[in-house]
Amino acid sequence: MNPRCGIADRVLVIAYGNPLRSDDGIAWQAVEEIRRKLPFLTIVCVHQLTPELSKDASGADTIIFIDAMSSGEPGKVQCQTVSADCTRVDLSHNLAPAQVLAFCKQLYEVEPRAFLISIGGKCFDHGERLSVAAENALPRVTAMVNELLNQIEIHAAK
Amino acid sequence: MAERRTIVIDPVTRIEGHSKITLHLDEQGQVEEARFHVTQFRGFEKFCEGRPFSEMPSLMARICGICPVSHLIASAKACDELLAVKIPPTAEKLRRIFGLAQVVQSHALSLFHLSSPDLLLGMDADPAKSNLFGVLERDPALARDGIALRKFGQQIIERLGGKRIHPAWVVPGGVSNPLSQEDRDAILQTIPEALAIAVRSLSWLKGTMECFRGEIASFGNFPSLFMGTVKEDGGLTFYDGKLRVVDSTGQMVADKLDPKRYFNFLGEKVESWSYLKSAYYKPKGFPAGIYRVGPLARLNVSDRCGTPRADQELAEFHELQRSAVLSSFHYHQARLIEILYCVERLEQLLNDPEILFKHVRAVAKPNAMEGIGAAEAPRGTLFHHYKIDEHGLIRWANLIIATGQNNLAMNRSVLQVAQRYVHGDKITHGMLNRVEAVIRAYDPCLSCSTHAVGQMALQIQLVSGDGTLLDEVKRS
Repeated sequence: MNPRCGIADRVLVIAYGNPLRSDDGIAWQAVEEIRRKLPFLTIVCVHQLTPELSKDASGADTIIFIDAMSSGEPGKVQCQTVSADCTRVDLSHNLAPAQVLAFCKQLYEVEPRAFLISIGGKCFDHGERLSVAAENALPRVTAMVNELLNQIEIHAAK
Repeated sequence: MAERRTIVIDPVTRIEGHSKITLHLDEQGQVEEARFHVTQFRGFEKFCEGRPFSEMPSLMARICGICPVSHLIASAKACDELLAVKIPPTAEKLRRIFGLAQVVQSHALSLFHLSSPDLLLGMDADPAKSNLFGVLERDPALARDGIALRKFGQQIIERLGGKRIHPAWVVPGGVSNPLSQEDRDAILQTIPEALAIAVRSLSWLKGTMECFRGEIASFGNFPSLFMGTVKEDGGLTFYDGKLRVVDSTGQMVADKLDPKRYFNFLGEKVESWSYLKSAYYKPKGFPAGIYRVGPLARLNVSDRCGTPRADQELAEFHELQRSAVLSSFHYHQARLIEILYCVERLEQLLNDPEILFKHVRAVAKPNAMEGIGAAEAPRGTLFHHYKIDEHGLIRWANLIIATGQNNLAMNRSVLQVAQRYVHGDKITHGMLNRVEAVIRAYDPCLSCSTHAVGQMALQIQLVSGDGTLLDEVKRS
């Protein structure tokens, strides 16, 4: 049994984007590698964030959102913390990570800590292939998830 | 001198797709005409030409992210006809399960995510609060129920089809994989909660009706025909059966119409101001052949549901009016009754001893050059009609979508609501919201019906006859 299973049980990875729009689907491809290297993680792949995800999120201690970013340097991988925010709701089936957390907080009275890993995309045209810059970023996404797991372990050990 | 003016609501919010509404005012500031314009164009019928017919179910499922399963089913049924096969009984039952699960999740989306802000917070509520967050602040239990019910349907689709959106599991000749015992048992475990939510939600909704007397009276409350598919015994069905048409008195106008002969009794008219075609019942002509489809129509044409709790609710529903239930506001209640029926029927099907059988696909090459598939989608009757060449390539396709069949009724409903609520020079959010809410009652799916990208902002403009902007309200 993997020694990290105890921690990983409480971590949920939510990868989102459109895999038919080139780099917008980078999160879907990133989790393929994450599944291979970190097979104990619970991973959900969706086209967009919807309120229903709050129920999944409510059972986790930590959520790691992974998404493509249309602005910024192609291939650049960034990580930021996310907090619940319900100040703006335009669409009920196209939410931001902060809004999923807000649903989670208000409906299930839990607020898991959350991170958003964003990967800069270059091409968002129709197609299932990633740009070279996005493709090259995939190992860094896995490394960043791994790093977050390390931090969670350290945090849990304290 | 007073002048004629036009109010434009563009786009309409909290619906599936992109549209706008124009209200034309006379010299006295009274609404004299209203139009619901669908401003997006898809063109699936055209660009599928030349594709192998076997691709059609998956291709057609891409029409919509909300009801891909309905397109899969209607398309696969048309392809079954091209193969000229009878699909294995277990495959048919699995397709039924798939379709019922989709009705639950789609209806839950419409009622809880899109319309519950109006129903819970009121039509005049602050637009900043008229959303799901407003609902969960006011009634978190209701919001939780909506989310759980939608998730219930989505999880069934995911277990059977491998993914929630655009699953490709329904194929010509049946389905691609049988149901495992593990998945069957897991779904069955979720039935009691879904059933409890459906019952609870119906109780809540019926309790709110008193607050909406004005809306019930004016939200598409007019005579029309109603059409839906019924079983041999007149019972509610979503997968197959014959079409029944009733009039506003509840009298049967036609029964046992073969959906494969739809072109004999349904016509489509193109209007220059919309990409959405207007369907009508041919024997009555245009526009007298106005008819409605979807939950309200299905319950108006059905003698029974065939499951115990839904049958009780249907009997109560039929008591709302001695004739057919005319107000489109009652689409909401009809939707919940159908959810209840679907959950009960899902339990029956999952407990069928044959449901785990492994033979789920009939394999054949094309044996016919033309195929028509019909099914009841969440929003109403759906037709897929294909013609192929000797190589199995699509040469012609025609889709008749529920939202197009409701187009005439939606236009008349907008006019009715606008005439009751919109007056004078000043636009209020309450007026605007009611005009939109009547469209929401039909739960139109414009991506489907026009065969969208962007933010759902809202803009309403009051424009004078010479184009001068008199008043404007924006919602973002």
